[in-house]
Amino acid sequence: MQLKINTKDVVSGIFLVLVALIGLYLNQDHNLGTARRMGPGYMPMLVFWIQVGLGAAVVFFGLFNGPDPLEKWTGLDMGALAAGLAVGWIVWKVAPSIAPIFGQTYYAVGVGILAGMLVISISPGWRLVGLINAAMAVFGLLLDQVGFFAALAGTILVSAAAERTQTLKGTAGMLVFLLVLCWWVFIYELDIRVNLWPQF
Amino acid sequence: MELLLTNLAHGFGVALSLQNVSFALLGALIGTAIGVLPGIGPVATISLLLPITFGLPATTAIIMLAGIFYGAQYGGSTTAILLNLPGEVSSVVTTLEGYKMARNGRAGAALATAALGSFFAGSIATVLVAASGPLLTQVALSFGPADYFSLMLLGLVIACVLAQGSIIKAIGMVVLGVALGLVGTDVQTGQQRFTFGIPELSDGIGFVPIAMGMFGIAEIVLNLERPEAREVMKTKVGNLWLTKEEFRRATPAVLRGTVVGSFLGILPGGGASLAAFGSYMMERKMSAGRAQFGNGAIEGVAGPEAANNAAAQTSFIPLLTLGIPSNAVMALMVGALIIQGIQPGPRMVEAQPDLFWGLIASMWIGNLMLLVINLPMIGMWVKLLQVPYRFLYPSILVFCCIGVYSLNNNVFDVYMTILFSVFGYFCSKLKLEPAPLLIGFVLGPMMEEHLRRAMLLSRGDAMVFLQRPISATMLGIAFAALALMMLPNIRKGKDKALAE
Repeated sequence: MQLKINTKDVVSGIFLVLVALIGLYLNQDHNLGTARRMGPGYMPMLVFWIQVGLGAAVVFFGLFNGPDPLEKWTGLDMGALAAGLAVGWIVWKVAPSIAPIFGQTYYAVGVGILAGMLVISISPGWRLVGLINAAMAVFGLLLDQVGFFAALAGTILVSAAAERTQTLKGTAGMLVFLLVLCWWVFIYELDIRVNLWPQF
Repeated sequence: MELLLTNLAHGFGVALSLQNVSFALLGALIGTAIGVLPGIGPVATISLLLPITFGLPATTAIIMLAGIFYGAQYGGSTTAILLNLPGEVSSVVTTLEGYKMARNGRAGAALATAALGSFFAGSIATVLVAASGPLLTQVALSFGPADYFSLMLLGLVIACVLAQGSIIKAIGMVVLGVALGLVGTDVQTGQQRFTFGIPELSDGIGFVPIAMGMFGIAEIVLNLERPEAREVMKTKVGNLWLTKEEFRRATPAVLRGTVVGSFLGILPGGGASLAAFGSYMMERKMSAGRAQFGNGAIEGVAGPEAANNAAAQTSFIPLLTLGIPSNAVMALMVGALIIQGIQPGPRMVEAQPDLFWGLIASMWIGNLMLLVINLPMIGMWVKLLQVPYRFLYPSILVFCCIGVYSLNNNVFDVYMTILFSVFGYFCSKLKLEPAPLLIGFVLGPMMEEHLRRAMLLSRGDAMVFLQRPISATMLGIAFAALALMMLPNIRKGKDKALAE
């Protein structure tokens, strides 16, 4: 057989194998038990070994059923991805020592995600995925302390920045419309328990 | 028969309560809207609305969510016919003949055929669900744990065989889904597995963050990456009435489509899009008007539209009788039921008669509503199409955020959704299908329970899966299905059939 590499499949297969190996490593903490009385580790063991086998098969067949290259991600894209992961991780770890608020529940996680997403959105290839997810992180960060309306406004504005055809007037109209709609659906009708305004 | 009628009467009693009728209508309206709008499908919408349905009674919640699913089948055809733009995957084939009919000035007739065909098929399929439900339930009650395990395995295998693209990648995604389902507290020993000490994970990874991230948010990003190509409406809807000739040609196509769709809908992994395609192939080969295919043959609209709606109804059969989801939407329904405290499975018909019969009755009522929603009110939906995507996606995003937060009033779920949206985005870049993962995630915990129980009963002898006749048959079918797909010719045929 001729070697025609399907890069998508090879990468997918490697991903499956890696996840399964991590799973097998973590599964060492769990008691396997016997086939008759399966412990908490038995099913994970079966599942992850099957996954290793499948991943390997995907890699193997991927060597012949191509070519199907990955998207044309540039060096900038790859660099931004690495930088985003690094920045996100550092911010997540460092944030609690900067301000005490980041030590509470998941604020450090949220800031880490936001920083990482903004960094990867610098490169054109990740602009959309970075900004849309950054918009969600803004929601998570603002909701509890700054309130429902501020969180919504933040999410809408950041996500609007993702699409270049947005106009200032259109965004403003959409902002007002969505704030009123969400207030009516979620606060007035469904009465979910959130802070509406900033908490001091 | 008499019992069936009594039960149906009971079902109509439930479905016709003011609350249930209004939520069925709401579901049908939302379903039509998202069906009309390209770029948001029933999976994303239902996962979006799941948290909101917690406050409702179980029956009402399921009635509304079901309405969204089959409503989308109606709405999807509208855009397919008028704009050559399928609102849903299941209406892709409708664009082939439907748009040609619209170009020939018969847009109204095509829309009417689609709606009437869907209504007819939906009614027949609803009766089928009602009749087969109790029958299958009887069979399922004799199932032991080993049989259940094999049945679920069969469901997973068929879901993969019928999935788009590479089969082993699909199976890999199923297994990954099962693995994600392992996270949380082990039911039998109470030990924490793969939780990393995070208290929010002790109940397992949330179902909604996965579905919403992979189907909702990732989809927004992918839609934005494609430049918007929505043409302005040029076609006039015109007269909605069919001519005598058209009616004569459409009728047999609708009948054939109903049969094909009802059958393909029951298969795991089947569902509406496969049914529509199967029916289209059939019409092109055997209908009287096959010479006209490619130039706006009415059979090419009538058959697939009937088929996709029939399949949308019958895909509830495996869920309601065996508790096994056959596609991603049904996996969401399992999630909705479990959240409501109802374990899907064969005992549901007996234990939850209101839910089972009420849902069936509401399907018929819903189909009737959809006929009204779609035909006389077609102008309203055409207007909706003029809302550009740049206004839609921020709305979808904020609804996702609030919905996922209100699950547990915890921002942790928002961050999980982000994680899965990024994962879903890369999956789509690697051509890894998200639907098998979701089905594996839902079935995984149930499979583990049945596996452990079966092995305990058999004293650790794995041969039990081959010794019990029901279980052995299921495994045999699963094996045969996999083996068939290894044959190059059949695989090519499948790829071609699903290439649309």
